[in-house]
Amino acid sequence: MRERRIDIRTVVGLALVAALVFAVPVLTSDRYLLKVLTFVGVNVIIVTGMALLFGYAGQVSLGHAAFYGIGAYTSAYVVSSLGWPWLTGVVLAVVLTCAGGLLLALPSLRLKGHYLAMATLGFGEIMRVVFVEARGVTGGPDGFSGIPFASVGGLTIDSAGGNYWLIWGVAAVVLAFAANLVRSRAGRAMRALHGSESGALACGIDLTGLKVRVFVISAALAGLAGALYAHVVGFISPSTFSLHVSVLLVAMAVLGGTRSLAGPVLATVLLTMIPFADAVIPGLSRSALEMIQEWQEDVYGLTIIAVLLFVPGGLAGALRRVSGWGRRAE
Amino acid sequence: MGGTELLQFVLAGLKNGSIYALVALGFTLIYAATGVINFAQGEFYMLGGMLSVWAYADLGLPLPLAGLVGVMATAAVGGVFELGAIRQRKDGDPLALIVITVGGSMVLSSMARHLFGPNERPLPLFSGGGSVSVFGAVLEVQTIWILGLTALAVVGLWYLYNRTGLGRAMRACAVNRDAARIVGIDTRLMVTVSFLLAAALGALAGLAVTPLTQTAFDVGPTVGIKGFAAAILGGLGNPIAAVVGGLVLGMLESVSIAFISSTYKDAIALIVLLGVLFVRPQGILGRSRREKV
Repeated sequence: MRERRIDIRTVVGLALVAALVFAVPVLTSDRYLLKVLTFVGVNVIIVTGMALLFGYAGQVSLGHAAFYGIGAYTSAYVVSSLGWPWLTGVVLAVVLTCAGGLLLALPSLRLKGHYLAMATLGFGEIMRVVFVEARGVTGGPDGFSGIPFASVGGLTIDSAGGNYWLIWGVAAVVLAFAANLVRSRAGRAMRALHGSESGALACGIDLTGLKVRVFVISAALAGLAGALYAHVVGFISPSTFSLHVSVLLVAMAVLGGTRSLAGPVLATVLLTMIPFADAVIPGLSRSALEMIQEWQEDVYGLTIIAVLLFVPGGLAGALRRVSGWGRRAE
Repeated sequence: MGGTELLQFVLAGLKNGSIYALVALGFTLIYAATGVINFAQGEFYMLGGMLSVWAYADLGLPLPLAGLVGVMATAAVGGVFELGAIRQRKDGDPLALIVITVGGSMVLSSMARHLFGPNERPLPLFSGGGSVSVFGAVLEVQTIWILGLTALAVVGLWYLYNRTGLGRAMRACAVNRDAARIVGIDTRLMVTVSFLLAAALGALAGLAVTPLTQTAFDVGPTVGIKGFAAAILGGLGNPIAAVVGGLVLGMLESVSIAFISSTYKDAIALIVLLGVLFVRPQGILGRSRREKV
C-alpha cells in the first residue's frame, strides 16, 4: 500500500488548529469554559487509544472506564495518601494500567471472535465493585477528595489555564505518538488486518501480538488520562468510572469512524460538550440544558446505532469525502 | 454450618440460578442465530418487569394478564429492535452488530426512565406471601413460581427445538446458515424469531423476580452480565448448557455468600466469567472447535 504523503496544507492546517487550541486560555478567562474544554482534552487522550483499538485493530472494549479509574485512584492514592511526588503517581498509574491491560488482553485475544468485549465488560464491573468496596484506598462510595494539583519540583499547576495547557499538551503528544504509530510498520499491519485477517496472517503478521499491544496502549492511555484527571478536579468517585462512561467512550470512537484519528477527536469534542452545552452557547436557558442532559443517553445510544447503520465511516468518512472533493476540484 | 442452613443456601442458589438460566438462554438463542452477543439482553429482563408493573399498576389489569402483557410487549420490542436495527446492517459485521446492541441497551434503559420514572417499582407476589418448609429450610412460594416458570420455559423451548418445524429450522440456522438457506429456510426470519424468543425469556425472568426485588430502569446491565457469564460458563450456543451454566453460577454465588462474604457477591459471576474465558472458553459442556480459514 502506498503511504499517503504528508502535504504542506495538512501541516499548516494542523499547526493552525494546534495554535488555536493552545491560545484558548489567552483568549478567554471563562473558568467554566476552560474546565469543560479540559475535560474534552482528558477524553481526547482516552479516545485516541479507543480509536486505535476500534478503528485500526477492529476490537471493542466495554471496560475502559475501569482503566481510567485505576489510573485516577492510583495517582490519587500515591500522591495524596502516600505523599509521593505527582510524577511518580502518574507513572505508576500508567505502569499499573499497562499490566492490567496485558493480563486481560493476553488470554482473551488468543481466541478468535469478540471475547475481548466480554472480558472487558466483566473487568469493568469487577473494578466498579472494587472502587466502591475497597474503602481503605478509594474512599468507597463517597469518593476520594482533597487530591492535590499537579506539581513538578516547586512548580504547582493550580490555575484553570495551567491545567488546560497541561492536559492539552499531553493530548497533543499522545496524538502525535498515535499518528506516528499508524504510519509505521505496525500501522500498516493493522490496516492489513482490517482488510482480511487471514490475508494478514498469511503475510506473516503476528495478529494476536499486534492486537494485544494496541489494547495495552489503549489501556495505558486511559490510565494516563485518569491520573491527570484526578489532579485536575481534586475529587473522584466510583460514578465517574462506570459502565456508562465506557459506553460513552465507545460512542465517541464509533462516531469518529474507523482508520482515523481526526474523526474520533472531533467526535470526542462534540459528545463531551453535549451535557455542558451552556459553556459554548451563552444564552442557553437552564431548562433547555436540563432537557439536553435528560436526553443525552438517548443521543449517545441512537448515535451509535445510526452511525453504524447509515454512515459506517463515521465523521472520518465524512471528512475524507469533503477533502476528496477539495482535491478533485483542483 | 448445619444441613438446614446449607439447604437454605442451595435453594437461594437455585432461585437466582434459574433467573440467570433464562437470561443465558436469551444470549444463547441469539448467538446461535447470528453469532453475535446481544448486550441488550439485560434490558429485556428490565422491560419484562417494568412493562408488567405498568400494565398492572397503571393500566389496572389483573396480575396474570399484566404479566402476559409485559412478556409479549417485551418480545415485540425485541422483534422491533431486530427488524429496525440488527437487520438493517446488511453486511452482518459482528463487531458492528455487537456495538449496535450496546447502543440499543442504552436507548432501551433510557426510554424506560423517560416513560416510567427513575424510581424502583414493586409488583405483588403471585400468590400471597406464604412459604413452605423443605426439610427445615424456608422455601417462599414466589421462589416456587420462579422455579416452575423456568422449568416450563425450558420444557417449552425443548419442545419447540425438537418437535416443531420452526425449531428444526432454527437449529439448522445455528449449525450452518448458508446451508440452511440453500434448503429453503428463511434465515432472516429465524433471526427475528430468535430475538422475539430471547426477549420473551428475559422478560419472563424479570417478571418472575420483580415481586421479590422490585425493578427499576437500570437493573438490566447487572443481570445481563450475569446471564452472559452463565451462558459462557455452560458453553455459548447450546441451550442445555445455558441452563446448566445458570444453575451452576447461582450455586457458586450462593456458596460464596455462605463461606466467604456477601460484599463481593456481585464480583463472583464476573470472576467466573473471566476465569472461564481464560481457561476453558468453550464452557463446561462445549466442545473445542477449531477455526478454519
